[in-house]
Amino acid sequence: MRASVRKSLTGYSFVLPWLIALGLFIGFPFLGGFYFSFCDFPPLKTPMFIGLDNYAQLLHDPVFHRSLGVTLIYGAAAIPLGVLLALTLALLLNTRIRGQALYRVIFFLPHLVPTVVTALLWLWIFNPDYGLLNLFLGKLMHGVDVWTGLFFDLEAAARGRILPVRWSAMLAAGPVAALLAFGPWLRSELTKRAGLFRLVRFAAALSCTLAVLPVLYVVMVRFMPGDMRKLHSPGWLSDASPFPAAVPFAPSWALWGIVVMSMWGVGQMAVIYLAKLQDVPIQLYEAADIDGATWIQKTRHITLPLISPVILFNVVMAIIGTFQVFTEPYIMTRGGPEDKTRFVALFIYDQAFQYQNVGYAAAVAWVLFLVIVGLTLLAFRLSRRHVYYAGR
Amino acid sequence: MRRVHFILAGIIAVVFCIGYFERPPKLEDFDPVRDAAFKDSWDRRIHLAYWEKWGSFERDACQAMVDAFNRSQDRIYVHYVNTSQVDRKAMLAIIGGTPPDVVGLWAQNVQPFASAGALLPLDSLMAKSGLSPERYTPQYLRIGTYDGRIYALPTTPASVALFYNRDHFKEKASELRAAGLDPERPPRTIEELDRYADVLTEFNPDGSPKRMGFLPTEPGWWNAEWGYYFGGSLYDKRTGRVTPDSSANIRAFLWLKRYAEKYGRDKLLRFRAGFGNFDSPNNAFIAGKVSMEIQGVWFPNFIRRHRPHMHFGVAPFPTARGVPGPRSFLDADVIAIPRGCRQIEAAWEFVRFAQGKGLEILCRLQGKHMPIKDPPPLFREGHPNLELAVFERVAASPYSFILPQLPVWQEYNDELGRAFDHIWDYPVPEKEIEGLSGPALDRKIAQYCRPEIVRTLGEVRKTIQHKLDLKRERDRLRRRRFGAVSRSRTGPPPEVPGTTE
Repeated sequence: MRASVRKSLTGYSFVLPWLIALGLFIGFPFLGGFYFSFCDFPPLKTPMFIGLDNYAQLLHDPVFHRSLGVTLIYGAAAIPLGVLLALTLALLLNTRIRGQALYRVIFFLPHLVPTVVTALLWLWIFNPDYGLLNLFLGKLMHGVDVWTGLFFDLEAAARGRILPVRWSAMLAAGPVAALLAFGPWLRSELTKRAGLFRLVRFAAALSCTLAVLPVLYVVMVRFMPGDMRKLHSPGWLSDASPFPAAVPFAPSWALWGIVVMSMWGVGQMAVIYLAKLQDVPIQLYEAADIDGATWIQKTRHITLPLISPVILFNVVMAIIGTFQVFTEPYIMTRGGPEDKTRFVALFIYDQAFQYQNVGYAAAVAWVLFLVIVGLTLLAFRLSRRHVYYAGR
Repeated sequence: MRRVHFILAGIIAVVFCIGYFERPPKLEDFDPVRDAAFKDSWDRRIHLAYWEKWGSFERDACQAMVDAFNRSQDRIYVHYVNTSQVDRKAMLAIIGGTPPDVVGLWAQNVQPFASAGALLPLDSLMAKSGLSPERYTPQYLRIGTYDGRIYALPTTPASVALFYNRDHFKEKASELRAAGLDPERPPRTIEELDRYADVLTEFNPDGSPKRMGFLPTEPGWWNAEWGYYFGGSLYDKRTGRVTPDSSANIRAFLWLKRYAEKYGRDKLLRFRAGFGNFDSPNNAFIAGKVSMEIQGVWFPNFIRRHRPHMHFGVAPFPTARGVPGPRSFLDADVIAIPRGCRQIEAAWEFVRFAQGKGLEILCRLQGKHMPIKDPPPLFREGHPNLELAVFERVAASPYSFILPQLPVWQEYNDELGRAFDHIWDYPVPEKEIEGLSGPALDRKIAQYCRPEIVRTLGEVRKTIQHKLDLKRERDRLRRRRFGAVSRSRTGPPPEVPGTTE
């Protein structure tokens, strides 16, 4: 035997156990599933070939359409939110502050909690009556109500008329405060150095926010009174109504619950961003500093382009993850209310194990596979112009 | 090949042999304390695996039944394997060719298992050992029957009735009397139930319910079956068609919707969110948040556990005026012998015991009635369930019903659940019903919701009928292609002792 052949044989024999397992536990079910997707296959009976019937049935199955819709809506809400939150977290964790390592651990910890435990935990957090979330939300919204009530008549706004009351003259302080806080003298040496001026700036920014808040809130109450009323204490997982009600395809409160819960696990994404952030060459920042770039400019022109490959990676993983969401709805809602949290993975499970339609479930799984591949390719295609690889 | 290869191959062969050739079970492998009494006969006995559900005191009851069997003879030893999701595990085990010898399933499993030939028909075994089908309450026997043959026998039956809080009735006695109702007895018709509920309900200052007289969604396990209490059903056996949108079912949904609108959907949502788990002191009925509730024969066990001195009563659940009763939803856990069982005769001996003395032990310790017409004379003596008579009465009633035995029942049930959610949440403009009450409110709700209810239930009918027809068609096709049911993946039917004689 030639030496090179023997060498490759040795190599292959080392990876053979893995290859066998791959073929047996992934390849076989994968291809088997493809065959079964053309069969009528109750698990206790012999699979019977029925051609494209399962796929044809898919086209007319309203529950499948709803579950695909729920999954896509969830993705549209959870992926951008998750990426943004993780990125913000990573940028914050990347600053040089005391106890940085501790913060990193704290934000990563939720990712280590098993999903089942997280789901059971959030079931309590979401309880409309006793839950922590509604407790805080109720207090917060009450505060906003009281503050806005000083300037506007909220009840009139809910009926469609924005009426300013007593203190509305104070609202004029808002623009003045904004000018004070973010005005052209912002960059003067004075504000950068003197402690007192920094304090004034902070106070001005705060009063600007406090002045803008009631205006924004009263407008929201004017245009979506029902939503704002519900925001004081949402029913979360048991509420099928959409939020905001006026927006077509808006996620239901129940789905928002699962979106909010998924933010609990962004720590892992943040850690990946963080690793890449620390890889950004410091010379670039130094050069930007010399040119007088602000923090925002540095983030926009240096940080984001350099970490864009990691953003793409996280987005692709999030897309795939979206189509695999199963544990949370299975434990928390069982797909209800009104199918508003029936994710595709749950639909597949129900078809295979509840209704004993393994063939149909296989067909859905294959369609899902194609959808994931398609969306991932789309993400790569769209990213071509926006992702920067330093190596190329 | 070098020596090392031989050694590796040898190890693999040994591992394979250990895995393949089953060794007889040893006493030490099991509960040594429990099993010590069987030490002498251990090796002589046939060991059977009995997969069954249950937890907590209900598991103990099942164990007591198995123990009694093991003590009653010295030929067979049954191992009670407490199994969660027993139907799915049994299904995979049967497909894999290593089924348990005896399996405890749920009523809805009988149809899919039996139609696939995964269970052994028991008729001939029953006839041989003198176990007459006549002995059983007919509905319970029907649960285990498929295509005219008996595949499973009932173990613990379920029936439901109205539980009412006597203290609440006493508290509101004068108001009830003022409304022309008798505080000493529970309601007898659904119309009366609504009136009782009205009087018993208490509100918070903000108008949200503090205590509900009756809440049809508590516990919410039978939301799809209310139509039966209005004289309807979900399936018409004569025509072979599903009937979710029959007039009785539409009436039932309208009745439900009235509760949603009368007390406010959002307010009820919040009110219900405050309920604890079923098996907890915060259970809505046990905690006194709901005065009347539909619950099952098992419920007194849980009341006793969490609030031993609660003053409650039980009565047959009311039916709509003019609908004969009493009627109750009946269900049962069943015991069966899976195809592929290697010790059919021994397994049957255990099943036979579980249908005789064992049934008595099990039902008594679980606080339930028996699924047979004439329980043994001593069964009722000192029975832990003090409300046993009510449940026995509703179970024996010819009007009581079991769920339709359809191959698409799970889908049907889920589809009805969805329809229920949809109708419950279907918005009625607040302006329209503001200030209305009594019959005027009912009329307004009916006017607004009836078309939507008819449409939704009609859609359920179309979807499910289509699926049912499809399943039937495919079963026909399968029979044509593969022959009879027994030619399934689970192999040819084994010799059933008794059939060959």
